[in-house]
Amino acid sequence: MKNKRKSIFISITQFVLLAAILVPAVTLLLWIFTERWTWPDLAPQVFSKRAIFEIAGRKKELLQILWSSILISTVVAVLSAVIGIMTARAILLYRFPGKQVVYFFTILPFMVPATVFAMGIQITFIKMGLNNRITGVIIAHLICSLPYAIRLIMDGTAAVGSRLEEQARVLGASPFKAFYKTSLPMLMPVILSAVSMSYIVSFSQYFLTLMIGGGNVKTFTILMVPYLQSGNRNIACIYSTLFLGVTLLVFGVFEWAAGRFMKHGGGEFYTSE
Amino acid sequence: MKDKLMPYVLLAPQILLTLLFMIGLVTGITQSLGVIPAFGLKKPTLLYYKEVLSRPDMMRSVLYSLRIALFSSVLATAGGVFFCGVCVMGKKTQVAVMRIIQLPIIVPHVVTALFIINIFSRNGILARAAYALGMIQEQQQFPMLIYDPHGIGIIMAYLWKEIPFIIYFVIALMANINGSLGEAATNLGAKTWTVFWRVTLPLCRNTIISGFLIIFVFALGAYELPLLLGATVPKALPVLAYQEYIHPDLRNRPYAMALNGIIIAISLISSLLYFLMMRKSVKCLTEEQ
Amino acid sequence: MKKRISAALLAVAIAFSMTACGNNERPKEENKTASVTEEMSFETMKEEAKGTTVTFYGWGGDEKLNEWLDNTFAPAMKETYDITMERVPMDIDQVLSQLSGEIQAGEKNGSIDMIWINGENFRSAKENNMLYGPFVDKLPNFQDYVDAKSKDVTLDFAYPIEGFEAPYGKAQIVMIADTAVTPDMPKSAEDFKEFVRKYPGKVTYPALPDFTGSAFVRNIIYEICGYEQFLDMKGDKETVKAAVEPAMAYLRELNPYLWNEGKTFPDSSTTLDNMFSDGEVVLNMTYDAYGTAVKIADGAYTQTTQSFQFEKGTIGNTNFMAIAANSGNKAGAMVAINEMLSPEIQADRYDTLKVIPVLDNSKLSKEQKASFDGVDLGKGTIPQEELLSKRLPEMPAELVPIIEEIWTEEVAGK
Repeated sequence: MKNKRKSIFISITQFVLLAAILVPAVTLLLWIFTERWTWPDLAPQVFSKRAIFEIAGRKKELLQILWSSILISTVVAVLSAVIGIMTARAILLYRFPGKQVVYFFTILPFMVPATVFAMGIQITFIKMGLNNRITGVIIAHLICSLPYAIRLIMDGTAAVGSRLEEQARVLGASPFKAFYKTSLPMLMPVILSAVSMSYIVSFSQYFLTLMIGGGNVKTFTILMVPYLQSGNRNIACIYSTLFLGVTLLVFGVFEWAAGRFMKHGGGEFYTSE
Repeated sequence: MKDKLMPYVLLAPQILLTLLFMIGLVTGITQSLGVIPAFGLKKPTLLYYKEVLSRPDMMRSVLYSLRIALFSSVLATAGGVFFCGVCVMGKKTQVAVMRIIQLPIIVPHVVTALFIINIFSRNGILARAAYALGMIQEQQQFPMLIYDPHGIGIIMAYLWKEIPFIIYFVIALMANINGSLGEAATNLGAKTWTVFWRVTLPLCRNTIISGFLIIFVFALGAYELPLLLGATVPKALPVLAYQEYIHPDLRNRPYAMALNGIIIAISLISSLLYFLMMRKSVKCLTEEQ
Repeated sequence: MKKRISAALLAVAIAFSMTACGNNERPKEENKTASVTEEMSFETMKEEAKGTTVTFYGWGGDEKLNEWLDNTFAPAMKETYDITMERVPMDIDQVLSQLSGEIQAGEKNGSIDMIWINGENFRSAKENNMLYGPFVDKLPNFQDYVDAKSKDVTLDFAYPIEGFEAPYGKAQIVMIADTAVTPDMPKSAEDFKEFVRKYPGKVTYPALPDFTGSAFVRNIIYEICGYEQFLDMKGDKETVKAAVEPAMAYLRELNPYLWNEGKTFPDSSTTLDNMFSDGEVVLNMTYDAYGTAVKIADGAYTQTTQSFQFEKGTIGNTNFMAIAANSGNKAGAMVAINEMLSPEIQADRYDTLKVIPVLDNSKLSKEQKASFDGVDLGKGTIPQEELLSKRLPEMPAELVPIIEEIWTEEVAGK
């Protein structure tokens, strides 16, 4: 009886949340085809496929840019997660002087508006010869996405602890193998969050990419943002839809990969126990 | 010996990136002190800060920005944690549900503004529905929910984006804890809510506070939503900075940087508070070792 | 286990190959000609520029313009000169940020070649030595087809160009209304006040410093205070404030009748444009004098929509193309700018994009003239002759931000 009430409550709450998210998203689809929608009508008066045709005309260029954007952001996301794990372990599992300072600096990028950092770092990158290159863009994105990855992974590492890993060490596993076989599978959900979060931070970076990439490194966001700002609603909506669709797809792939890893990697330890 | 070196080896890439970041930050701050050699500005001066701080609209803008940031972050955190709890207690949250919750995180801020305008403006779906139902006769009778001097529209937009962000930020950890520890406690006869309140929530505290801080600082420093959904007066701090930044006279850049410097200062004060709060927890775990 | 290691290796390989890709981009730039000497003839430049890439930085929010640049102009450049055009969509403030950063860091082989620019941005860029020039007198098409003495070509917001920019297109403020909704169109500032009172809550203008909103306010200032006194006014806030006060008083009087009682103004002209096509306001304004025809054809505006001007005229300006001081391919940029000034390209821009051409009619041949005259401007527009006959000059660039500041202090929310 009580359980039933609880589950109804849970369903209703979830429904409200999902509706609040989805209703605006539906207007996105509607606006792709809307040319004119004047007060006070409840439905648009003039529809057109203009936006769709304009996009279709750029198919080749779009696909190419999408592909390179996905690659850039995926590399950033994976590197973020790897460096995030390393940093989190160093801070949580070792004793060394200056730890508090290191920790403070890891979260500092949260505190600084991207424009300030972008304008400052641009000159440094030019002097180092990193501007106008994909490498430079990846490094710059990494600086922005890393704090998210570190926060998530640190909390995960703290929750998982190091007891199992130490046991594995005692049983004679090498440090890397012990980590790989015990902590990593348990950390996988958090790592997945970190990877996805870093991916989206990188994928949606506009100003920084412009400053460092100098227009030479083109990403989907660089292509999209001028349309978003131009107030041309149907073009803006179609780019946004594409942006959302592609990102969700990539997240799906990440999850699939993580799932496979957990099945194969995570299982081994417990089954051999 | 090996163990002594280990943390530094692990930290090497992090330290390298931090150094780069600091160089960028310091260059940015020198610009706010009026040092931009390319424009013939060479002498460091506090003049820009002084001028910016003595602007007549400055105090109002600071308070306006702080209010928006605080409301958005508190409400988003509370809402996010609440939904997280509901989802976690519902045991199995379907993959599809999580996928939908991810959506707002991906949506760019400019598009979020478009949604809010589509729905809540005097020309939006709600106003049209009210007209169709005969509740209002004129557009002007519909309450001003966006472009209002209180920033309601901006806060709504932040909530739409950031509640899912908190859920996403916290849920992996929370599900983990609730799954392992929570089950143990429930098996021992504790009530679900009590478990959530006494066990799960305290363990997620750090992550929740981090999420709160991220939203707070972001809402304080981002100009897009206040520019698109805010009133003409007062202007949010980042909007002032943005408008100085796009000012065609390039020698105005230091003003923009000084305004940004003020934003950074406020952010740093809040992050220092955060750091002090977190210090204890970072220590705890190390002592355990 | 092995699988996973190979997967990890693959990821690393991808990362490295991408780095390599990044490195590969370098040589392309090095191909560019480093500098253009003073004596170099246009023919030599064409030779030098063969096989290079020219980047064109400018605002990228107009899909039709982008389309035209990518699918008409770029192929023409490739075919005629073997130059690859690369359009980089970027707001002018960001372009100048990037450019100043590159110059500050001492980059000689800069990534920015051509820039779409005008007004205060041009003045600021030129004064900070960020532009290359003078270069226009080296372009054959500029000499053959452009009236080098007309004020539209020698002055940019009353600031002397001195050969640092070549004209790209002309713009002029027009107002837009739907004759089915508001049959009466204001012809002067006085009419405009009546109009606002007649449609309370249904008229507004973009908040300054929006480009269009700012021009509209300057137009009101011209209406009320006359324009001659501003053309040689010093950029001193007190002087300007005293001169524009009657216009500011007028604008304050409008406030109670404006959209949202003048407490809030739309953040930009694009927002106002959307509000107009949604029917939330009854009056729109734009710099794009012939954009109305395109919007009617698309269906965004009704068939009865019409653009109009004040009797005393509206502000017009020209937008320009400039070359970055540290451009890595100045020769290529000059060839491209020259091509943009050719009668064929200008006529095509006029036909496809409805941009007012910058060429001198009296210098064109009969056939060339015919290609311009043959263009159908479409519905809702003002004939070109009438439009240009009521064209008022822009104020000196330095006054513009001062007026924007005064408006923010004296009018917004008052």
